[in-house]
Amino acid sequence: MFNAATIWQVVVNGASLSAIYVLVALGFTLLFGIMRVVNFAHGAFAMLGGYALYYFWGRFGVPYVIAVPLAAAFVALVALIAEGLVFRWFYQRMFESMIALLGLNLALVYSAVMIWDVSERSIPPAFSGLIEVGGLLLPKDRLMVICIAVVVLVSFWVFMTRTRQGLAMRATAQDLEIAETQGINTSVTYRIAFLIAIFMTALAGALYAQIYSLSPFMGDRPLMVAFVVVILGGMGSIPGAALGGVILGFTESFLATFYGASVSSFVSFGVVIALLIVRPWGLLGTPDGARA
Amino acid sequence: MTIQRLCVTALVTALACFGAWPVLALEELKIGAIGPLSGGGTAWGLAINRGTQMAVDEVNAAGGLKVGDKTYKIQLVMVDDAYTATGGRTAADRLIKLEKIRFIIGPIGSPSVLGALSATDPSKTLVLSNGFAMNILKNESRAAYNFRTIDTTNEFAPAMIEWMHRKHPQVKKVGMLGTNDATGQAVLPMLTEIYKATGIDVWTDSFDRGSQEFVPLITRLMAQGVDLIDLNSNSPSDAGLIIKQARQAGYKGLIWQVGGPAVPEIMEIAGPLAEGFMSLEMFDFSSPIGEKFAEKYHAQWPGVINAQVPLWYNTTKILFEALRRAGSTDVEKVRDAVKATEGYDAGVIGPVVWGGQAKYGVNHQLLVPVWIAEVKGGKEIILEKITPEKR
Amino acid sequence: MTLVMRIAGACLVVLAAALPFIDKDGFGVTVGTIIALNMIGATSLHLIIRTGHVSLAHAGFMGIGGYVATLTLMRLGWPFPLNLLAGAIAPACLSLLIGPLLLRLQGKYFVLVTFMLGEILRLAFLQWSSLTGGANGIFGVPAPGPMFSSQAGFYWLALGSSLLCIAIVARMLTGNMGRIIDSVRDSERLAQCAGIPVLQVKVAAFVLATGLVGIQGGLTAHYLQYIDPGAFTSVQSLSFVVMNVIGGMRSLFGPIIGATFMTILPELLRGYVEMQHVIFGLILIAVMAAMPGGVVDAVNRARQFLSRRTRGGNLDSNLPRVVARQ
Repeated sequence: MFNAATIWQVVVNGASLSAIYVLVALGFTLLFGIMRVVNFAHGAFAMLGGYALYYFWGRFGVPYVIAVPLAAAFVALVALIAEGLVFRWFYQRMFESMIALLGLNLALVYSAVMIWDVSERSIPPAFSGLIEVGGLLLPKDRLMVICIAVVVLVSFWVFMTRTRQGLAMRATAQDLEIAETQGINTSVTYRIAFLIAIFMTALAGALYAQIYSLSPFMGDRPLMVAFVVVILGGMGSIPGAALGGVILGFTESFLATFYGASVSSFVSFGVVIALLIVRPWGLLGTPDGARA
Repeated sequence: MTIQRLCVTALVTALACFGAWPVLALEELKIGAIGPLSGGGTAWGLAINRGTQMAVDEVNAAGGLKVGDKTYKIQLVMVDDAYTATGGRTAADRLIKLEKIRFIIGPIGSPSVLGALSATDPSKTLVLSNGFAMNILKNESRAAYNFRTIDTTNEFAPAMIEWMHRKHPQVKKVGMLGTNDATGQAVLPMLTEIYKATGIDVWTDSFDRGSQEFVPLITRLMAQGVDLIDLNSNSPSDAGLIIKQARQAGYKGLIWQVGGPAVPEIMEIAGPLAEGFMSLEMFDFSSPIGEKFAEKYHAQWPGVINAQVPLWYNTTKILFEALRRAGSTDVEKVRDAVKATEGYDAGVIGPVVWGGQAKYGVNHQLLVPVWIAEVKGGKEIILEKITPEKR
Repeated sequence: MTLVMRIAGACLVVLAAALPFIDKDGFGVTVGTIIALNMIGATSLHLIIRTGHVSLAHAGFMGIGGYVATLTLMRLGWPFPLNLLAGAIAPACLSLLIGPLLLRLQGKYFVLVTFMLGEILRLAFLQWSSLTGGANGIFGVPAPGPMFSSQAGFYWLALGSSLLCIAIVARMLTGNMGRIIDSVRDSERLAQCAGIPVLQVKVAAFVLATGLVGIQGGLTAHYLQYIDPGAFTSVQSLSFVVMNVIGGMRSLFGPIIGATFMTILPELLRGYVEMQHVIFGLILIAVMAAMPGGVVDAVNRARQFLSRRTRGGNLDSNLPRVVARQ
């Protein structure tokens, strides 16, 4: 089993898994990093992104390149309602946000069940077929996800480090009061951060739904993945989410292929726990008095 | 003016009551249903709800259910069990104690059934359920008021695998990916035994239900050199995704499912990659009976029909027939009448056959005929009909 | 606790005990049993919360207790209360081993680690089929002795165990021990400087709490006469946390109220078959927004508001009273 062809295939699979995981984790870590909110409704927004793409691309026939960001933007704008009604009360309050957003998740998911029925749907593929390079196979749609993940990561990094708004967001994340005294409009900053976070979440959800399948409960797994990736990489750290996603993707690909799914789960969880005990702020997070 | 209005109101009310009299005169008989209406199993819970509701609506539209010298209007009370044992127990308790119900359809899923039995058995409530665990029917005292009205792997697998061996003798090794839960852990050993007895080598692995990402496992499976993949009792979503990802990974062999069934959902998820996929089918939707059923279903609900809906419809009709024949709502009498419904045809699945004595020690397993279907040219076509052995 | 509260409490206990007579063959006894069982988990978790840590692995420990109680009864033939005791000691042993390691972590990291721990425990229950029966669980767990095998009998067993647990936790939270625990939560550094062995206090609370929830696991197995991993998921752990947050994390009344509320609410909502989960979610949001300190906190604030009103204006005269109450 341990031959060159399989190993290369494992690497290729790992890359595509990592891309998906990174995309899924970005919005989650952004919300935590800036607003200290544990977004338990993360999966629900991803799911809404999926349904948005289903309609824009699958039903209305909007060209794919436009449909994807359009779906994400649409969900982000609609999510502003949730921001005003729910999120706003819980910024900087971790535990209360957890439970309230759990409630929001329930409300959104089961509303989706009532609107769209439970059965799985598929979003028509944008690129079907495989690319074959020297015996290695990679489905085109997964290759596209890798490209999009890279684009999103890079543009987000550029935004955060090279633009004024990005600077404002980082300042707000570091210290809310000082940022305000410096003249930063924190509530606008929060709203922008929220929009960006949900945009990325919905984008990830749309692509996720296209690769796998679409249903009201599809968000459960993205939430779990985001959790683990962000724990690994450090809550609130964007490079951490990227690193965590890559590590999780390759580890899963390697372990599951050679040793089976249960070994993969056990080892992943075990490693994360061990890491958390030794280095609780994750690989790239910032320690702020983590140890007693 | 007020007195006139009063008189008119009184007259109208009197007329309404008079007009409603025949319906009011009907006593109500409540039957209960338990199933998952939340979480990943919601599709099956809705199948129980809708299948049962169709039978209830039908009997009410025909003027009610005649039991002995009374005619009843049937009311269905459905409770969510969240697919867990505690949920099943609480749901059963609620139906038995609060709603005073003595006949329950469902639950589905071994943990929920086992949880519910701890309440239904002591209270002598009749249960028509579906859980794959052997021990649900095996223990005589547990089975006293519990019937299983849907085939389990034990019933349909031997005949199906024998068919596969006959039609495709080149298959030497089968790979199975199963779920890490009650159904998967019950089903995989059963299937392994049957395949091995037929001379086919077996490789298996398990995953967490709802994983969606199977590429590493498929890579692993393909390295084993299997020529047949059996999707056993995977959910429609997992099964569809395994097929899609297996074909995308370049797998060229046969894929089928001795379980499910979920052919329409799988075709939806895997699209053109589902071509050539074969599966168990528990209902022939392409037959005239099937089409009529689909029409009736779609009059109320949109979307793909879960294959279990006609089976639960059938189950409820059997219950109604037993009530009719027993002539009373006494549970012991109805239970005996259920056992005696052999030969009754509810009009969808075919005649009732009770079996299972050899395997479970009691004849409480409904033996439903099954079909083998294949996806050809984007359509589901029926290949062959199989009747489980009465053992 | 004032005399009024003590009398009210006693009345409630008497009422609860009389439930099987008030509600013959009724669903009330079933709900009461589940409330009593959930209270064990909620109040034991409360002990951990009072030391400043929220554990998302509580259901996992409950599972250990449940499986150990079942296995010692069915495979080793231990008699009834002894197997429950084993079910309490087993998770306590595990937490004694890993507690010192985990409890060093700050609040939010402890939550994440216990979340992963809970998942690993659930996977262990699933995979170790030879011991636990895997996903299909262990079936046919006998009733806990002839005295407790009836509906009412088991209810009294659950109620009694629940009251016992509440009493134990209450004992820990009052008096000197209670003050030590509160000081550990409020300011660890200060407590350490005052000579309090902070880590040991946390571990003690953790061990006791996990032991108590192990009893709930054993009792649940006896109740359903069946045990399977599906009862010990992160959803259940989260449920215990929600009971505490909604009821109030600063007072023992919190989890008591929270457990009652969270058990009764789904039953009340059953009428709305399709909408029930949506409504439940909305209620969670509303409660968290309006009563961030939980029900107990809202009640306290209402009382302060009212007492300030009736006593008239002078805040200072109320100040000592307010401080003492907290």
